[in-house]
Amino acid sequence: MSDRTEGIREIARKWLGDGTVEAVVGWEQGTYKDKTSPVLIRTPEEADRLLFNERCTNNLMTYLKREPVRGMEKVGIVAKGCDIKALIGLLQESQVEREKVKVIAVTCPGVKKDDGTVPVKCRACDVNTPTFYDEIVGEKVDSSPEPGARFEGLEALDAMTPAERFRFWRGELDKCIRCYACRQVCPLCICSRCIAEKNQPQWVETSPHPRGNFSWNLVRAYHLAGRCVECEACETACPVNIPLMLLNRAMARTVKGAFDYEAGKDPETQPPLRAFNLDDDNSFIL
Amino acid sequence: MEESHGTEAGTERVDQETTATSWEPRIVAFICNWCTYTGADLAGTSRMKYPPYVRVIKIPCTGRFDPLFMIKAFERGADGVLVSGCHPGDCHYTAGNYNARRKYTVFKDLLATLGIDMDRVRFSWISASEGGKWVDTIKHFTEVIRGKGPFREYREMIDVG
Amino acid sequence: MSKIGVFVCHCGENISRTVDCERVARASEQIRGVAFATDYKYMCSDPGQALIKKAIREYELDGVVVSSCSPHMHEKTFRKAVEEAGLNPFLCEMANIREHCSWVHEKEETTTRKAIELVRLMVEKVKRNVALEPIRVNVTKRALVIGGGVGGIQAALDIADGGHEVILVEKDPSVGGHMAQLSETFPTLDCSQCILTPKMVDVGSHPNIKLYTYSEVEKIEGFVGNFKVTIKKKARSVDIDKCTGCGECQLKCPSKKIPSEFDRGLKNRTAIYIPFPQAVPARPVIDREHCIYFTKGKCKACQKVCPAGAIDYEQTDEYVEEEVGGIVVATGFDLYTVGEQGPYPDYRGYGEYGYGEDPDIIDGLQFERLASASGPTGGAILRPSDGKEPKSVVFLKCIGSRHPSKGIEFCSKICCMYTAKHTMLYKHKVHDGTAYVFYMDIRSPGKGYDEFVRRAIEEDGAVYLRGRVSRIYRSGDHLIVKGADTLSGAAVEIEADMVVLATAVMPQPGIEGLFQKLGISYDQYKFANEAHPKLRPVECATAGIFLAGACQGPKDIPETVAQASGAASKVQILFSRDEMLREPVVAKVNENTCIACWYCLEVCPFKAITQKEIRDRKGNLIKRVAEVNPSVCTGCGTCAATCFSNSIDLAGFTDEQIYSEINALMAVGQDLFPEPGKEEGESPDEQAA
Repeated sequence: MSDRTEGIREIARKWLGDGTVEAVVGWEQGTYKDKTSPVLIRTPEEADRLLFNERCTNNLMTYLKREPVRGMEKVGIVAKGCDIKALIGLLQESQVEREKVKVIAVTCPGVKKDDGTVPVKCRACDVNTPTFYDEIVGEKVDSSPEPGARFEGLEALDAMTPAERFRFWRGELDKCIRCYACRQVCPLCICSRCIAEKNQPQWVETSPHPRGNFSWNLVRAYHLAGRCVECEACETACPVNIPLMLLNRAMARTVKGAFDYEAGKDPETQPPLRAFNLDDDNSFIL
Repeated sequence: MEESHGTEAGTERVDQETTATSWEPRIVAFICNWCTYTGADLAGTSRMKYPPYVRVIKIPCTGRFDPLFMIKAFERGADGVLVSGCHPGDCHYTAGNYNARRKYTVFKDLLATLGIDMDRVRFSWISASEGGKWVDTIKHFTEVIRGKGPFREYREMIDVG
Repeated sequence: MSKIGVFVCHCGENISRTVDCERVARASEQIRGVAFATDYKYMCSDPGQALIKKAIREYELDGVVVSSCSPHMHEKTFRKAVEEAGLNPFLCEMANIREHCSWVHEKEETTTRKAIELVRLMVEKVKRNVALEPIRVNVTKRALVIGGGVGGIQAALDIADGGHEVILVEKDPSVGGHMAQLSETFPTLDCSQCILTPKMVDVGSHPNIKLYTYSEVEKIEGFVGNFKVTIKKKARSVDIDKCTGCGECQLKCPSKKIPSEFDRGLKNRTAIYIPFPQAVPARPVIDREHCIYFTKGKCKACQKVCPAGAIDYEQTDEYVEEEVGGIVVATGFDLYTVGEQGPYPDYRGYGEYGYGEDPDIIDGLQFERLASASGPTGGAILRPSDGKEPKSVVFLKCIGSRHPSKGIEFCSKICCMYTAKHTMLYKHKVHDGTAYVFYMDIRSPGKGYDEFVRRAIEEDGAVYLRGRVSRIYRSGDHLIVKGADTLSGAAVEIEADMVVLATAVMPQPGIEGLFQKLGISYDQYKFANEAHPKLRPVECATAGIFLAGACQGPKDIPETVAQASGAASKVQILFSRDEMLREPVVAKVNENTCIACWYCLEVCPFKAITQKEIRDRKGNLIKRVAEVNPSVCTGCGTCAATCFSNSIDLAGFTDEQIYSEINALMAVGQDLFPEPGKEEGESPDEQAA
């Protein structure tokens, strides 16, 4: 990993030094030994703070939609293959301009969660060596996604009756405290005024009541259908441990099955809810 | 307008209905102005009969159908929701129904994942000439909902607290 | 507090037979915001409308709900009445308690209750209605006609005769289209060029028509009444203003072996050429692909002989912009490519018939050229291989058409008629010859059409065999046609001197590119789609664009001309006023919350949404947002339902209105169902009973 760290620092130094970018978004050592923090590097001297290790789990693309990064003319960003999927989503939806973002891609053998386990996104990873970037560091890592890993959590859900599923989700969603951490951390929750904050009319009740909790979590997953790149940031951020990725992955499975579409693959394609085919599945419409 | 949402006629609870023996199904139908609404008109002009538990909300096109409408209908105590518009190729606006179909595809799977009984959700294409199909759809859907009874799971969630 | 009036109609007994209308009115009074409610026998009658108007004035109503029949029946009536009383017409809504209630349910409590709920639904909606004003759109009274075949010619002449300027764009060097290639026309057998060329001349000389031949539509911007069209004038290499059309250049051009498009390859032309003698404009063009000067760098024979000095090798493609208010698309057809796949992989051709390999197997348009007095044989039917008169000609119908395994399911419509015509033209010229026709069905509806086919069979002795041909192959001097006569059940083998294939009518190859520029939709075969197959067969779904002729589907000449005149008439309706009024049911963007993801722009079926830049006073770009052009928006609302942040809304069907309806429908207000004579506020159980 250290050569990757050195590679990132070198490129960041160069870009910051020659004015290619105003700043570089990357990871640095966190307060605790086994954690990293996002960092905004503005000078070549600071570049040595950047690093890459198996604790660089977070997707930094979410900073592209926020100030001060959003307003910068040129910004560098360090990204794993999976993070770049979010960038592709943002490009598709015109939220960033390709010329403004310079990507330091890093090959990645996989990262770890806070508890030391391997996240599903790494077990199912098909972009250990990124293909969309400006510069790349690290030796090539072949991808061998574990068959079935991506949707394995859905099997238990599929096996339930609708009533059991509803009870399961009641149990989970009733916990929601409506802190919207899932939304804030999501690189693809791009609205400046979330539907949950619209009050005329108020489609989604704002109080943390089961009624509004259900609507909110449903709407969140719906609005990410065909857009979610499965970075797991929402689930990681959730303070009450709602298994949000189950919903997101269920949507990913639907979109793959119905429209043969996967989010974050190709910036030239249309997200599925922005297009249609004349021969889309019609079987369920009576 | 000084009326604010949620304080108008509409905040009354619906619980008495769920317990009364005289429970009647509550079905909301979001239907497009050009095909299904006209088809339902035709059922009327042809004096066909169907159960009186469906409430129609007219939208210009199924393209206007936002899945939020369906959630809100359930939140307001619907036992079943129908969305119906022009058949593929017949859309008055050429493509609103194709866009709607994509939304349905995604949304119905999401509802199913969350454990909503999919028998309570129905999508159909009913043309302006299909008065009979409108009647059959409402009859059948009403029977299904009657068989299921009130949407207790959802109402319990609504009424917590 | 709103002041809504509710007007409950009995519709004679149509509603009151099953719905207690008086109770509906009384219950409506209980709804918050209702200032007045009443019932009446015929609300749509003059006294009924007077009642509404009087109440609007007397109670200063700010919204009206007419509870009666379907809005499709009387919404216009009541909105007009409301407007006459000084209220904005869009503050009037109808609760449909007839078609959706009294007529479809029995006389019972639930039916009246449903009627009350439907009224309440509309009351809640009307509370959120806002006054809307019709959208006014300026109209540029100049038309663009794309395609200079008979359809485009007819449309251009009609519009021009109506007193409006017309821009006519034709991709070929001359107008005329396929009709100019035909010999005679069914069912009258009059000479095609005799009836067409006068119209071509008219188009060329009409003071209101600006003709762009050898030109194509490059770009289209704008919307109904206000299109901006960029036309590419392809380099002709001839200055048509200097040129006198003398034709010297054609005589001297050394490159003479180019198959003539007009004669469908049955004759050759030169590199500088006038496509056919009656061409309009009768000016040549240099085919740069075959010109020796352009390919090898020297020759210039034409320039040397041109007495007018009109040859200009330096000419380049030129782009001109024209502003028009309406567009007629008349791009016509081409024939199915028989021998090969053609431009679309789904169409698999008929390799087994040997078209393109054997010169005596030709298609219908080639036969037209053979039979034409201006054609390569001067009108004598002579087979292409050796110029001998064929004594036996086999005609095959439905080549491509109605043949799903070859990629096409539709019927080409004109082949039954033109094949019958071909057999007659043949028999009239080769008296001792025999014409055989393999057919699937004979489709000849139309004025004088069936009589015409009967004449071909009964008087001119064409031999009709019902069945398909499996194979055609050469055997010495003859072509052996192997097929089946399904009526007798026998296998048939005919020794033919020539075979004519009635190939499917297809859109012009690549025409979808133009349709995409126009923003009009097309079907799987790339035929343009009309707005409504029955009631709006001339309009496109995109306002201001109209269709004429075979670009929409197979059509014969009279149908094409009729539709062209229809399209011209539609254009003139559009031009009849200086500005047009459109329904204000259109989408609107909330620029504060729009994040420019362009979902709305992509899903809009009418290209009514564009990107708008918001700049500060110094001109710095602050942000981009979506913008709806109300002149183009048709109010489907797809954008509104797609926008994640609900930053786009549809007037007349706003989020607030629909939200209120959902809310109103579901609530069970105890005060809503008082029965006459009973006190209000009973217990819920009694109420529900």
